[in-house]
Amino acid sequence: MRNSMKVAKWEIKRNMKNKTFLIGLFISPILFLVFMFIGSLFGSESEETETTQVFVHDQIGVYPALQAIVEQSGLNWEMQTTQLSETEVAAMEKSEHTAFIFIDNRALEDGVVPVYLSEEINPFFMNQVQLFSEPLHALKISELGLSEEETATVLQGISFMEAIEDNASFEESVEEAEGFGGESLERLVPGIFAGIIMLSIVFTGMAIFQSASQEKKDKIAEIILSSVTPSDLMQGKIIGYFVLGLIQVVVFLGLIFPFVLWRTDIPVIEYLFVPETLLLVSIAILSYLMFAAIFVGIGATMSDISTAGNFQGMVMMLPFLPFIMIGPVLNDPNGLVAQVGTYIPFTAPGVLIMRLTMLEEWPWIEIIISLAVILISILIFMKLAGKIFKVGILMYGKNASPGEIWKWIRA
Amino acid sequence: MEKMLTIHGLEKSFKEKKVLKNISFEVHKGEIMAILGPNGAGKSTTIRNIMGIMYPDSGTITFHNYNGSDIPRNKIGYLPEERGLYKNVNVMDILLYLANLKDYPLDKAKERIMMYLKKFDLEGKEKVSVEELSKGMGQKVQFIGSIIHEPELLILDEPFSGLDPVSQELFKEEIRGLADNGTAILLSSHQMNLVEEMCDRLFMIQRGEKVIYGTLEDVKRKYANFKCTIHGENNIDELQGIPGVLRVEQKDEASILHLNNHVEPSAWLKNLPDHLVIHELKINRISLHEIFIDIATDKNLLKEEGVMYA
Repeated sequence: MRNSMKVAKWEIKRNMKNKTFLIGLFISPILFLVFMFIGSLFGSESEETETTQVFVHDQIGVYPALQAIVEQSGLNWEMQTTQLSETEVAAMEKSEHTAFIFIDNRALEDGVVPVYLSEEINPFFMNQVQLFSEPLHALKISELGLSEEETATVLQGISFMEAIEDNASFEESVEEAEGFGGESLERLVPGIFAGIIMLSIVFTGMAIFQSASQEKKDKIAEIILSSVTPSDLMQGKIIGYFVLGLIQVVVFLGLIFPFVLWRTDIPVIEYLFVPETLLLVSIAILSYLMFAAIFVGIGATMSDISTAGNFQGMVMMLPFLPFIMIGPVLNDPNGLVAQVGTYIPFTAPGVLIMRLTMLEEWPWIEIIISLAVILISILIFMKLAGKIFKVGILMYGKNASPGEIWKWIRA
Repeated sequence: MEKMLTIHGLEKSFKEKKVLKNISFEVHKGEIMAILGPNGAGKSTTIRNIMGIMYPDSGTITFHNYNGSDIPRNKIGYLPEERGLYKNVNVMDILLYLANLKDYPLDKAKERIMMYLKKFDLEGKEKVSVEELSKGMGQKVQFIGSIIHEPELLILDEPFSGLDPVSQELFKEEIRGLADNGTAILLSSHQMNLVEEMCDRLFMIQRGEKVIYGTLEDVKRKYANFKCTIHGENNIDELQGIPGVLRVEQKDEASILHLNNHVEPSAWLKNLPDHLVIHELKINRISLHEIFIDIATDKNLLKEEGVMYA
């Protein structure tokens, strides 16, 4: 272990003195910040969407009710009444973001309300205007001479609703779903934090790959192995690159945090210091250990990173597997894809972090099984990597074929 | 002499092929022991087994009183045949790292690094990146790396390959100096003239088996008879008839007379007939180089001659 720490310290020192690593350390968070900043510029611009001028030609006296609805729903409309006739409006050239609504007996008799729009208009306008159908419908029913109670019953309509035993929690979840802010952000922050840690250390961990094959290319492996055992060297590299990954995380968060605090009013720190963060970060670290073992083993089979064969290339892609699952998992965090992804070693950490971030109720049994899958995989991969590393690191000038690797594993 | 390293009955197979067969030898304190053999004979495999980079199928390796994986590797220095250094680090950092891996105190290591850099004409290069060094300079740094921790046993696999004569001389002196100070040295090399100049004892290996083992003197006495080279046109049959001559090789005008190992050169010279044409005459022992080539090419002529008259 003492020798592993020496190797780890060396790997850290060597990289921290390496210009390429230092540039990489700062370039990714800076790029991220630049994109975030540009995004926020566009974001604030789109918020200031044009106000739609809505002119209502009201012949049946529902204008005040309509105005109340618009106010309630917070639509960016400016309502006015107009006396212009339909033929005049149809003929005239309408200025941008303008709509004319003609509410007369036709609405009550045929159920049709003619709407005239300018060429440039909010694409959702025709959806928004459907809000008016309810008061008009009510008016139409009251014309039939029904009592207020009867009207309400007719208007209630029928809706299909999933049966939930505990009514209180249903209301709670409805409230939450409506206000996508508060509590969901509270879950999102630890998830994003763990995600950043996972990506940073796994990607920095990919450098292990290069480090192991560089050791062969530079032909120093044998000199080092005359002082330390192959497993010391392997462990040292894994620990070293783990610390380098954490340094990347610190730099990343050190640059991103102030920006987030400045541009948004999310109480990030408060959301972050919750017990959930601990589990999520542990998953991220386990994910690193698994991929580090794979990378260090495979790196030792290659003479040079640029000559990586198909097999090695495919292994390099493994950490990207969870990305394929982002769509289905976010769509349905309890769906089949999400559940299957939770049990596949390569996707388990990524999918688990995504699911735990999305889900209100954590599926503890699935979490425990998934963690067991990850832990067992780490043990197996470490053992295999050790065997591959021991032989591969001394095989200079040639890539190992999958057949050879299999032989080393069986040896 | 105090035994430092004892190899006994070392065997190793790769797949079905046996690459080491019953290899046994010793290295003593303060001596230079050469391990010789053609490419692929098993020298580097033997060395890798000593260093614990590979494990033998059977046999024992004892260093002082330690066996196998208990051997304190920080007391051993190693310069492998296939060697290099990390490219993008500076000379001082890599040497300190190597010293640190051997548990050698860093302040002392720093002093020794500066001393050796000066000795090897690399003064002022401690902050230079390894990739900026020439091949020869790189080899010097690797050599310093293998001796920086004052090892009791130093294993050098082809230390002279790729060195210019000046650097070869520098390495030779340093290796000799270390041995004089008590370091046991196991040296593998193809440069027979250097081995002949430097080593006290030698172990020659061919196809994983011992062929020669002993002191340089013994080996020479056993294998290296005198030979007499005569420049001038002479009849081969007449030469063959001279007492003490085993066989004669003729090339152009030169004849090489291989003599048996009882021959005393001064007495034997009197046997030469008066009418021989002699433009030039040279009498010397067969060199290690010739013994090596004889064994490596499986001629075994010299060995037979040696044994026949031993």
